[in-house]
Amino acid sequence: MDERLQKALDFSNYMVTFNNQKRALAEKYNQDLLYYHLGAQFTVTKELINFCYTLVSTDNTEVVLVDDNGSPVQITDLENFHANILDVYFTASNEYYNEFVNLKKKRSVSKLVEIDE
Amino acid sequence: MNKGVLVIARNNNNIDYVKQAVYLAKKVKKHLDLPTSIITDNIEYLNKSFDPEVFDHIISVGYESKTNTRSFYDGGLASKTDNFKNSSRSSVYDLTPYDETLLLDSDFVVNNNLFLNCFDSDQDLLLYKDSYDLSNNRNTKEFEFISDSGCDFYWATCVFFRKTETNKMFFDLIKHIQEEWNHYRRLYQIQSQLFRNDFAFSIAIHILNGFNKGNFAGQMPGKLTYITDQDILWNTKDETMTFLVAKKDYLGEYHAIAVKDMNVHVMNKFSLSRIIDQEMAVEQ
Repeated sequence: MDERLQKALDFSNYMVTFNNQKRALAEKYNQDLLYYHLGAQFTVTKELINFCYTLVSTDNTEVVLVDDNGSPVQITDLENFHANILDVYFTASNEYYNEFVNLKKKRSVSKLVEIDE
Repeated sequence: MNKGVLVIARNNNNIDYVKQAVYLAKKVKKHLDLPTSIITDNIEYLNKSFDPEVFDHIISVGYESKTNTRSFYDGGLASKTDNFKNSSRSSVYDLTPYDETLLLDSDFVVNNNLFLNCFDSDQDLLLYKDSYDLSNNRNTKEFEFISDSGCDFYWATCVFFRKTETNKMFFDLIKHIQEEWNHYRRLYQIQSQLFRNDFAFSIAIHILNGFNKGNFAGQMPGKLTYITDQDILWNTKDETMTFLVAKKDYLGEYHAIAVKDMNVHVMNKFSLSRIIDQEMAVEQ
């Protein structure tokens, strides 16, 4: 096989594996962004964080939020709820970032999936 | 209210579901710290070959002689046809020893504590509708709808339920669908004659939602991550699992992918069995 084609195919294989790993990290991140409160599931988004921050900043202590299943939930301690979702966001995002930086350093298929050569 | 995990294990000539259930019970203990009970028709084999103490309750069901054959693949190039004993799932409501039950397939690998959130949920019935195929190149439509003109697909792989009158009605309806399978599969335009729990559960949810989409069943936490039996579980180390996922249009060729701290439904039961053997050998 032409060496140029061989190199391209090797790189192509690397990119497929890299993209699969990246996609798996993104799925894990989405899973880590879930926050459970009073039996309801919330996906922590920047919008949710900012909305809660706005309410807390304007001296609101309670709010009704709609959870991932479309059900309304009464949040009675809004400040605590905001602190918790912020913690979930930072923990998940930092882990995602660290894993992603680590992934980018790996320059071979075997290293991407950490198989001993 | 008492709570626990329930698993069904009914061996055929090629697949050792009991071994998978033992592996699952250990994983559940490690990550969820919950008891696991087993429903099986192989109690003698369980007692002889494994430590039955890993199970909270061992529930016996009669041997199933009815033939329901399907192909079980081991990657793209090998397969075996065998009996698929999947008729007990509709009876779990009556058989479970728990008020709050997390029903898991024996080929489901638990690697985190995400499922603990089910027990805090204000919904009495949870299933997965959304899923994540570790291969990035397959058409996943078969896991979105039960047929081209059918209703939403729900996975019977992981089901959380509480003992309520409504859930009893749900499982009774599944029994009825199972008994009248040929009628329902034609009604919902399912081409395969093979009875599948995923389909029966999906049809029951569709009916109880008023023949519509709805919120009769809530969503399990996150998405159901899976590999099909065309893929291979290659290696495990602690909570990291390495898979070979089939390349599109290149039969028998694979890409590697590794995931950490994620629960995975490993449909390739042969490769799961090899990994369990390796891990059990290390334990001994």
